[in-house]
Amino acid sequence: MAEEKLNLTPQDFEPVSKNEKGDDEKIAAPSLTFLQDAWLRLKKNKGAVVSLFIIIIMLVVAFGSSFFITNAQLVKSAPQYANLPAKIPGIDINGLNGKLKMGGAWVDAYAQNNVPANKYFILGTDYLGRSLAQRIIYGTKISLIVAIVATFFDLAIGVSYGIVSGWKGGRVDNVMQRIIEVISSVPNLVIVVLMLLVFKPGMTSIILALAISSWTTMARMIRAETLSLKTQEYVLAARTLGESPSKIAWKHLVPNLSSIIIIQTMYTIPSAIFFEAFLSFIGIGISAPQTSLGVLLNDGQKNFQFLPYQMWYPAIVLCVLMICFNLLGDGLRDAFDPKTRR
Amino acid sequence: MKLKKVAAAGSVVFLSALALAACGNKSADSSKQVFNFSETGELPGMDLSKATDTISFTNLANTMEGLYRIGKDSKIEPGVAKKTEVSNGGKTYTFYLRKSKWSNGDPVTAKDFVYSWRRTLDPKTASQYSYLFDGVQNANDIIEGKKAPDTLGIKAEGDYKLVVNLEKPIPYFKLLMGFPVFFPQNQKAVDKFGSKYATASDKLYYNGPFKMTGWTGSNLSWKLQKNNSYWDKKNVHLDSVNYQVNKSGNTRYNKYKQGSVDYITLETDQAKNLKNNADYHLMKESTLAYLEFNEQASNPTVKKALSNKKIRQALSMAINRDQYVKTSAFGSQAAPGIVPDGLAVRNGKDFNSNIKGTGVTSDAKEAKKLWKEGLAEIGEKKLTLNLLGDDNDAAKKSGDFMQSNWETTLPGLKVNVQNVPFKTRLARSSSGDFDVVLTLWGDDFADPISTLDLFTSDNSQNDGKWKNSEYDSLIKASKTTDANDPAKRWDDLQKAQKILLEDQAVAPIYQRRTPYLVKSKVKGLIINSVGVTYNFKNVQIK
Amino acid sequence: MRKYLLKRVFYMILTLFLVATITFFLMKLMPGTPFTNQQKMSAAQIAVVNKQYGLDKPIWQQYLSYMLNAAHGDFGTSFQFSNQSVSYLISSRIGASAQLGIQAIIFGVVLGIIVGSFAAINRNTWIDTLCTVLSIIGKSVPNFVLAVLLQYYIALKLNWLPVAGWNGFNYTILPTIALGVGPLAETARFVRTGMVDVLNSDYIELARAKGMSRFGIVYHHALRNSLTPLVTLIGPYTVALMTGSMVIENIFSIPGIGEQFVKSITTNDYPTIMGVTMLFSAGLVLVILLTDIVYGFIDPRIRLAGNEG
Repeated sequence: MAEEKLNLTPQDFEPVSKNEKGDDEKIAAPSLTFLQDAWLRLKKNKGAVVSLFIIIIMLVVAFGSSFFITNAQLVKSAPQYANLPAKIPGIDINGLNGKLKMGGAWVDAYAQNNVPANKYFILGTDYLGRSLAQRIIYGTKISLIVAIVATFFDLAIGVSYGIVSGWKGGRVDNVMQRIIEVISSVPNLVIVVLMLLVFKPGMTSIILALAISSWTTMARMIRAETLSLKTQEYVLAARTLGESPSKIAWKHLVPNLSSIIIIQTMYTIPSAIFFEAFLSFIGIGISAPQTSLGVLLNDGQKNFQFLPYQMWYPAIVLCVLMICFNLLGDGLRDAFDPKTRR
Repeated sequence: MKLKKVAAAGSVVFLSALALAACGNKSADSSKQVFNFSETGELPGMDLSKATDTISFTNLANTMEGLYRIGKDSKIEPGVAKKTEVSNGGKTYTFYLRKSKWSNGDPVTAKDFVYSWRRTLDPKTASQYSYLFDGVQNANDIIEGKKAPDTLGIKAEGDYKLVVNLEKPIPYFKLLMGFPVFFPQNQKAVDKFGSKYATASDKLYYNGPFKMTGWTGSNLSWKLQKNNSYWDKKNVHLDSVNYQVNKSGNTRYNKYKQGSVDYITLETDQAKNLKNNADYHLMKESTLAYLEFNEQASNPTVKKALSNKKIRQALSMAINRDQYVKTSAFGSQAAPGIVPDGLAVRNGKDFNSNIKGTGVTSDAKEAKKLWKEGLAEIGEKKLTLNLLGDDNDAAKKSGDFMQSNWETTLPGLKVNVQNVPFKTRLARSSSGDFDVVLTLWGDDFADPISTLDLFTSDNSQNDGKWKNSEYDSLIKASKTTDANDPAKRWDDLQKAQKILLEDQAVAPIYQRRTPYLVKSKVKGLIINSVGVTYNFKNVQIK
Repeated sequence: MRKYLLKRVFYMILTLFLVATITFFLMKLMPGTPFTNQQKMSAAQIAVVNKQYGLDKPIWQQYLSYMLNAAHGDFGTSFQFSNQSVSYLISSRIGASAQLGIQAIIFGVVLGIIVGSFAAINRNTWIDTLCTVLSIIGKSVPNFVLAVLLQYYIALKLNWLPVAGWNGFNYTILPTIALGVGPLAETARFVRTGMVDVLNSDYIELARAKGMSRFGIVYHHALRNSLTPLVTLIGPYTVALMTGSMVIENIFSIPGIGEQFVKSITTNDYPTIMGVTMLFSAGLVLVILLTDIVYGFIDPRIRLAGNEG
């Protein structure tokens, strides 16, 4: 490495005049709140951003569809169009052009069933001739509702329980922890089954069961974090100043717990979706005419050899949903807790 | 980078395990007389006094032998009885038994029948099928605990002569003898195994064409092996029937295609796609699905509505039965009446020949009209009904379909489908906790009375509480005054069915025909529509 | 330590007692009876069955005798199998489930560790991205969908393995994969995160500076230290897999306990439901306790909760 020759002149050693000196205290970048900071970091994570967009689109489509896909439409059957494969006008790819593989050869199922030329189903139909696209959108909505409502309960119960338990400490904490232990030592499925046996099968029971069984993890994490936050100086200060515990919880604890809450939520939603699908799959989930991704999957797998599309489409939607929530969850975790991101 | 190697080595090991496994996976030698049979559920028990389901009955009928055996088309074939005399106006049956053996070497004697029947009827046994003995002397009193089991009208005169006394002639008595509840039991086995009797394949003795092995009480595979002490063993060709329980329809079909099973039943959508397959067949069944309307429903509006004939008719007509059997119960046929087609034939005419579609027609227009009139009669504009059904796949599809038909055809009707487990459905039906219930009834023996008896006003299975005195008296006449006059009895029963359907007491929907696949090499499999479904005795693999 | 253990065992028994009580009374609320043909039975016969199942006594007596029997591992007689005791049913079904669960855990965890550490060593390369993407997909595909696909493509189309059944090791491969992919994905993610942490720590820096081989570093330091937290994952997995494999058992026709549980739900077999519920709860409680103890041994820094003030 060649040494560079430095040309130093005496002027270089002159002190900077007071006017020329910059403001040491000034921070060039704009001041950011914790959330803004997290958002900036999240934006850099392409996977998470794309996932966020997909989730938003799914939410909009699923809930926006409420105006178009009504109960009346769900019960309406058209047996003459039963079990048609997907047909998208203008696309001529086997599987998307109304053709179905039957006994090794592609057969035009639409022509075979004398379906009018202008009639087509983008994702095909089910055994009663109902549009699969419609049912998948509706099913996604139900799955999302189950997940979101269950998560809401999870939050409401888990967070408040965790804070109270951690804040009070001592005997109260001990009792509350034992209760958690009891609840979490009963497998989820058992709770759900018991709920479904007592109440009638359907969305309410599933949500209730999920709400009862799923909040314990959240409560445990919140408690642990509260325990450590409790000893922080600012909490001590607030306490000494005579702030009421509920106000401390709301103003100081919750904001500091927000990252845990958000991250945990992102993991609860997909597991709730998963669980609902699983229940519907074993036949104790959502009941007709309502449908969910799990119900569609269960119906679809029965015909997998003959009408593979009936399983593939709901499966793809479910997987995409799961992947997006998982990626977003990871992204948020990294954004809120930069230490883990490398 | 050693870890990479470890990972690579790991995957190599894993893949070679796969490959090795693949090599070991060869199908069994096809020249053997082995029938691989796929069943849909576990075998709940082999105690013939306590059995309640078709899987138990099928296994019992193939490992045990009664006085008769039910052969092709529900015809009786010789069993333990080699000769039968009927006397006393059809009220006394004398059976002469052939010499045959239990699998432990004991002879099968008349005493085994006496013991078995008494055991079944003893209230302590709590048999759920003891009602079939109705008509045998003192049977009902014994079941109710009023008389001792040894007062039953069955007697062993020596080891090989059995005399049965009836209270009234039972025209189908010989057919009943082919049903496992009437088979003999070895008292030694019952005493020896005590509370474990018939809970595993080695906890009972067999006298039928096959012996069971490998059944532990709740496992998913067992074998029926040829019984070499069976009296007619020269006509048993199979070495064994290998039972495999596969609960998923998808799995069953995959196994059939892979060749590890020779027989499977199909689900609706599979059947739709396989209807042109050479192995595809339809099982004739005497199982009918019908709707019962609760005329004593707790909700006063529902009670009023369902007691109205026009509303019942509208509900029945609104269901498009032809479409129904195409979409939701493929292979089945639209209900011919409340009595299954082909169950009873007289002088070349089917039992259902006189009804000509009464009560089983589907007509959306007429349904709408009747619906409006009916609603006007009861002074209502809207109606909400709960439709109760089983929670299996077929029943869920039925609920789906009927809800769809009703809500789109009949304005102002809202239907809630309730799918519950089988036993819950039964409990709710009998306690009247339903509005409309989809019931499946399979006849126990090939006589219309097996179905028609259900709807007399005092029958405990008349869940809808429909009442009609003319119907009651016709059924009574068929059992009493006309019992020994086949023509008159036939006439009574035909009339009764017509009354039932004209009043739309129930709405018959479809007669089930289960689609199945069987390999063409399997010859001689007998599948019956009543009582015991499969008879493997004469099966041969060619 | 002993005091702590006693305390934990006491809480365990308390938990199981509560679970048993709650399930018992919930079951009493249910409709349905042991009979399928009740309408055709006489009063005398029904009385006999009620006596046989102890349904003739007042509820509190039923409860007492149920609890006493349950303490001896006797959960009564199944409603769906005639004369079969629930404990026999469970014992004859648990083997297959346990085998499958353990195989799936080994498959998932071992492969998960390999994939996870592989990703961590090559972090921020395409290998890492690939592993991450695969593990996210693995976590997002429901195992029942995977099972159907495996059965169709591997068993039927390629004819490499039997479609379904329980007749030897061959038969366990596909269900093991279907069941093990979830834990695999989770373990891989877990190990990757943990190992990345460790690899960035000072002592690894030191080991590297000392000239230790890369494999040595990974094997002696990174792997060990990043695996300790895995213990907490494996415990609950074991129970979850044993209980959660019901769909897999159904699809692959495996005589396991999960599948039996679903069947008992759909046939109102209350004694079996209660028995299996108790089994699952006991399993979970035991596993949690074991995990805590093992964890205490592996990582002495973790104080046992009982020693807290």
